[in-house]
Amino acid sequence: MMKQVEAAEFKELAGKGLVMGEFFSTTCGPCKMLAFVLKDVQKEIGEDLTILQVDFDKNKELTAEYGVTGYPTMVLLKDGQEVGRMQGLQQKPAIVKMIKVNQ
Amino acid sequence: METIKYTYKENWLAVQEKAEQEMLAELEQGNYTLEHPLVKYNLYSISPLTAVVAFKTPEETAITLTVKGKTKQADMYHTFPKAKTHILPVLGLYNNYLNTIELRPYRGTASAFTIQTPDTYEGKEIKAVMKTTPEYLQDNLIFEAPADENLASAFDYAGDTRWHLSVPCIFDLKRLKNGRLLIGTDRLIKLPYYVSGLYEMDMVGKIYKEYCLPGGYHHDQFEMPNGDLLSLTEDFHTDTVEDMLVLIDRETGAIKKTWDYKNFLKPGCSKSGSWSDEDWFHNNAVWYDENTNSLTLSGRHIDAMVNIDYETGKLNWIIGDPEGWDEEYLPYMFKPEGDEFDWQYEQHACVITPDGDVMCFDNHHYGSKNKETYKKAKDSYSRGVRFRINTKDKTIRQIWQYGKEQGAEFFSPYICNVEYYNEGHYMVHSGGISYMNGEPAESLGAFTRNMPGGTLETRTVEVCDGKVMLELTLPANYYRAEKLKLYTDGTNLDLGAGKQLGTMGVTPEFETDIPMEPCGELLPASCEASIEEEDDRFTFHSKFEKGQMVMLLLEGKNGEESHRYYISTTAVPYLAMCCGTFMDSDERSTRTFVNKAGITGEYDVRVIIDDKKYETGICIKC
Repeated sequence: MMKQVEAAEFKELAGKGLVMGEFFSTTCGPCKMLAFVLKDVQKEIGEDLTILQVDFDKNKELTAEYGVTGYPTMVLLKDGQEVGRMQGLQQKPAIVKMIKVNQ
Repeated sequence: METIKYTYKENWLAVQEKAEQEMLAELEQGNYTLEHPLVKYNLYSISPLTAVVAFKTPEETAITLTVKGKTKQADMYHTFPKAKTHILPVLGLYNNYLNTIELRPYRGTASAFTIQTPDTYEGKEIKAVMKTTPEYLQDNLIFEAPADENLASAFDYAGDTRWHLSVPCIFDLKRLKNGRLLIGTDRLIKLPYYVSGLYEMDMVGKIYKEYCLPGGYHHDQFEMPNGDLLSLTEDFHTDTVEDMLVLIDRETGAIKKTWDYKNFLKPGCSKSGSWSDEDWFHNNAVWYDENTNSLTLSGRHIDAMVNIDYETGKLNWIIGDPEGWDEEYLPYMFKPEGDEFDWQYEQHACVITPDGDVMCFDNHHYGSKNKETYKKAKDSYSRGVRFRINTKDKTIRQIWQYGKEQGAEFFSPYICNVEYYNEGHYMVHSGGISYMNGEPAESLGAFTRNMPGGTLETRTVEVCDGKVMLELTLPANYYRAEKLKLYTDGTNLDLGAGKQLGTMGVTPEFETDIPMEPCGELLPASCEASIEEEDDRFTFHSKFEKGQMVMLLLEGKNGEESHRYYISTTAVPYLAMCCGTFMDSDERSTRTFVNKAGITGEYDVRVIIDDKKYETGICIKC
């Protein structure tokens, strides 16, 4: 599953299995590109992974809670615990590698 | 179909070969003599204060060629071996000046001709202030390598420019044992300053070899005792930069050995004030020491010089302030001895002296490992420094320095070098001084120059036994300085075609496809897009707005697999900018370099901007 969520829904889903939080901005070119990359990642990993996209500018408290200072930032959570983090636009193999290590 | 602007740029090697062949044909067809020689100004196109003079003499004779100086002491001369056909480089012309050149045969009567040079700087000549004597500098010139838009130039004892390049060959300019120069190419391969490799050229601008490297060249190079070349480089397919070194076969250009610094240091083991995840080492110099068969590497962003074994790549020692280093590295570090000692910070240009001392230019940027005690530019200093190390008991002494006593007036937060000539005789080049409204600037000169109120300065000093013998001041920043003669004992000019060796490798691609049909429209005129094609690559220039999603596509005309190249429209906050030569003042400007290596076929070039795929109208054949 890959969907855009607000803070409340993020918190509700974050503790359930393997979750990738993607903090993005609508004014950011790399974020737009990352969305395409994450679609590919979702295809490869399948339903084991939930990707939650969070608008950085509209969810300041949540970004602060997760220590996100810039975008795009990907935070990988396993049962609510952070197990990986990547900043900036990344290619699919690097993201898949981080996920598989923590699957 | 409409197209964006397209140009084809011929390789310098081809341009120069053609010019040389035409000159030789003209020489054979004409009756050129000592009194009426064939004169070709700037024959090789890139060295505009030079010429080639060609003529024949009835008998074999040696020729002494003199470029007359504005004073007798400023004459540049060289005697060429006896021959009947003479093809001689004329070096050391003045800019925008009626130069007189004298040709004198062995025990014969001199003949003269003139060359009126144009304003080769096109109104932008740098005004040098040189304080020295002709007796000290003699026919040496002080060469300054670029750090901003000013190109490599050389100055005589009077401060007159006697040589410069008209293309942006960057980073250090070194003389090889065969008398030729080794300098970075003018072919940018990745922003901000990584170029395709190195040119082996002579003063007249003739390029004999272009050594291409898959990870490009940056900062420094070193000629090994057997003539092979060490070059700093990186791997464009990884997330880090400026953390690799290669050994290049001098004859074939093949890479014979590679050192990856992540094999002997962990990224993040030490962090200078300019450190970043990507540029964790920032290698700015390499030195091979035959006595210990080891390599010394200067890492600006680890505040240290590290020495590794040439064969095994294992760490031998580290010179740097131990504060903040991971514990596992402390056994490799030194304990200071003596009353006068300061560690170096964000240093450049490591040198091993003949007796094993270690020198560098200590930029002293930030001046501390502790953020709480970082020094402001106005309170800082830079210096040349020489350390004596005992590698058995791991002790270190400071045995010489020049510059600290001058405080912020000599402070360069980036670039610069020190040269060892002899005991007590050194060059200290502070080429990165900058001021903001008269106060020492916190920003690097490459950025200060574009700010209102920003001014730049270079001070190149030579000291002998504590006495300043030369000081060259320039109103610009220069990466490094070298003292060289124009003419050498070598041939100074060899005829024949130059060679391109090695490869620039395959350009990293973006794996993810964006499914989208072409919209059929030409890329908007506001992008000011253009493509410059060369025999081995092409460069896409365009302007985009911040926040746009942009991808360059090569789409096969005959079913070939597509190739994708992501173009960032995000401003990159560079913490290091050792060469700002290629910086563009318009933040919207982008340059995307695509090597033809690894690509075969015929491709339409298209560009995705957000939700539209545009045409360029250009087809590239690889």
